[in-house]
Amino acid sequence: MSINIIDVIDRLKTRIGVEGPPQTATVEAGHVRRFAEAIGDPNPRWKSQAPPTFLVALASASMHLDDAEDFGKGWLNGGNRFEYLAPVMIGDQVTARSHVADVYDKAGSSGDLLFIIFETEYVNQRGELVARLRGTAIRR
Amino acid sequence: MNVRVGQEIPELVKHPTTRQLVQYAGAQGDFYEIHYDQAYAKSVGLPGVILHGLLKAAFLGQLVTDWLGDDGTLEAFEVSYRGIDQPGRPYRCRGTVTRVDGKRAELEVWGEDESGKRTTVGTATVRLS
Repeated sequence: MSINIIDVIDRLKTRIGVEGPPQTATVEAGHVRRFAEAIGDPNPRWKSQAPPTFLVALASASMHLDDAEDFGKGWLNGGNRFEYLAPVMIGDQVTARSHVADVYDKAGSSGDLLFIIFETEYVNQRGELVARLRGTAIRR
Repeated sequence: MNVRVGQEIPELVKHPTTRQLVQYAGAQGDFYEIHYDQAYAKSVGLPGVILHGLLKAAFLGQLVTDWLGDDGTLEAFEVSYRGIDQPGRPYRCRGTVTRVDGKRAELEVWGEDESGKRTTVGTATVRLS
């Protein structure tokens, strides 16, 4: 039995703007190769550079989701926005920092939907901001 | 590269399989069961396993980077998932140029299912070299 969506939203709202623990990972050649194979993209460029959406494989793109699971029965991905400021190359060490940017509800055709907006910034080993990601997780 | 408003970029047709969803789950590290466990997917009201939204985003990313080749870079890329897609059905990625401003161009990109329904819609901003 789902609990009241308002209670879940109130609880999640206290997380807005609070940054989760940073996650650092090395962009490994084997991981990029497996990712490129999985998406079916044979572009030889991905032998040295990470494909555009690879960043989501490097560090979890969402956070603080356990509380949200008190509402509804499943997750949907509503959308993603990637912004690229510098290429991510194999061998780079990338640190991802995420926070919840917004939480709100919307009436859907088959009941209430809970929206959680996440934002992540990715910085490389030289301290350069390489990308930003915004994601919309939907609990239904 | 000569780019003009209204230009349609070469389409990319993908043929996702359940095997590919498992492969992608492993590569991304997203093990949510709706992408590989039929019984689980049905238990949460889905018709069966469905494609990861981010896999569809990756397909649309490939659409743009294939078109650009060495003639430019992707600066920004935004997608909204409007509908579910199941493996075993072709997924057609398409795009058109909507704006050209000097070296920068904007595109509308989308993925459509067999019936032509746009289940993923988005935009891409590229910088031409």
